Amino acid sequence: MSIDFKVPIFDVKNLSFIVRGQNILSDISLEIFNAEYIAIIGPNGGGKTTLIRMLLGLDKPTTGEIKLFGKKLSDFKEWHKIGFVPQRASLVDQNFPATALDIVKMGRVSKRGVFSKETQEDRDAVKDAMFKMDILNLKDKMVGTLSGGQRQRVMIARALASKPEILILDEPNTGVDMVSQKNFYTLLSKLNKEEKITIVFITHDIGVIADDIGRLFTINQKAIICNDPKKAMSCEDMSKLYGIDAHLIHNHRHEH
Amino acid sequence: MMEMFEYEFMQRAFLVGMLIAVLASVSGTFVVLKRYSMISETLAHSALVGVAVGLVAGFNPLWMAVVVAILSAWLIEYLRSSFALYSDAVLAILLSGSLAIAVIIVSLGGAFNNSLFSYLFGSILAVSDEDVITILVFGGIALSLLLVFSKEFYFIAYDEEVAKTSGVKVKLLNFLLVSVVAIIIALSIRVVGTLLIGALMVIPTVAALQFRVGFLHTSLLSLLFAIISMACGMTLSFYFSLPSGATIVLCVLIIFVFSLIANKK
Repeated sequence: MSIDFKVPIFDVKNLSFIVRGQNILSDISLEIFNAEYIAIIGPNGGGKTTLIRMLLGLDKPTTGEIKLFGKKLSDFKEWHKIGFVPQRASLVDQNFPATALDIVKMGRVSKRGVFSKETQEDRDAVKDAMFKMDILNLKDKMVGTLSGGQRQRVMIARALASKPEILILDEPNTGVDMVSQKNFYTLLSKLNKEEKITIVFITHDIGVIADDIGRLFTINQKAIICNDPKKAMSCEDMSKLYGIDAHLIHNHRHEH
Repeated sequence: MMEMFEYEFMQRAFLVGMLIAVLASVSGTFVVLKRYSMISETLAHSALVGVAVGLVAGFNPLWMAVVVAILSAWLIEYLRSSFALYSDAVLAILLSGSLAIAVIIVSLGGAFNNSLFSYLFGSILAVSDEDVITILVFGGIALSLLLVFSKEFYFIAYDEEVAKTSGVKVKLLNFLLVSVVAIIIALSIRVVGTLLIGALMVIPTVAALQFRVGFLHTSLLSLLFAIISMACGMTLSFYFSLPSGATIVLCVLIIFVFSLIANKK
């Protein structure tokens, strides 16, 4: 797989975020390139979600600069290029009146614009996203009646419907069973390899995806960027990151 | 049954009533899904300040209600987004604040009379030709805006942050939605009254939600419930000389209770 290391999708320089005198993130610099698969790990409260929120323009950094596709965040308009699946994605309001199709269609809202009617291209993009996530059979089901794993796929289909170049997922496995999680990782890997979609993924579950990811960012106020995730997570690193005495448990799936 | 349409005032009231039922239920769907039901109560009380100014100063109370309700809606959105205040607290503060101001203005102006009573509880007798034109013009604009931006409003109601990250102009559309709601509420007070319009906005949607169907069907059910309640309420109000607002709200409440029972798990 070819990764274009020329123009970064995200270019973050000296980013800091201070709230009421407390340093949440300090002096973070990183780049994310086209077709990369990046996992972000770190302890709770370490600033992972804050970093993502700033990349998406939801929070403003105290200092530093973020560029998206070469443009300053404030000048960036092509938000349909970015698909975002938030942390609470699979914990949707049970009573919200929406079928799986209603939710996936939301992914086309910003691309369609205000006055335009739904076109064949919109319908095809929605159908294609649902096909990729294997949820075409659920299209008329109410989201409140779906399982955690099914809902998670609906949320990703919504993000995919705008044909994004990058998919950002913030711990989307909350409330999802183990089998669904495994299928989910396979799907992400497939999207990255076959569709060349850049994936940025916050997770606690690093062992399971270590084979697939290209780079690993560990965030605990500061960022440690590691280019070889399989070698990265030594006990020493884990202890440093989480501030506890860590023991490495080998994942037998990778042993031959 | 048809004899009530022999009266011109009933023709006017029905025309306006049906438009208000459509407006209240369509806007109510987005308001309820945003968990913002109380805004209708607060804006209705703010509209009363406009009515009070209109009655005392001799302007058209309906026009003044529209203006004050929109200003109040903007103030709510501004306070909500710019200060660390809870949304429901902002609504509660403005609700009682508006009522206090309205009462003071009316007492100072000596306009505490039947005219004000009709704005509080609604009256089908009170709809003038001028009101019909005002309601048709503003109501038409409000309905067009709701329909044009319905997919954006629905997305924002589902998840404001995700909508924002996908490029939807959330802040602007939130201001637009509250402005449209303010207009609809101000227009509705002639027939339904300030104290009861919130119910017509919220209850049809909550009743429709009990059927657990998709967005389009929920919206259509809510519309149907609002129209039935409006038609039954105004008819009963005519034959039994009851205040129209209260009768309409009782009808929608009955539909709500049936919806609850029919969809009990």
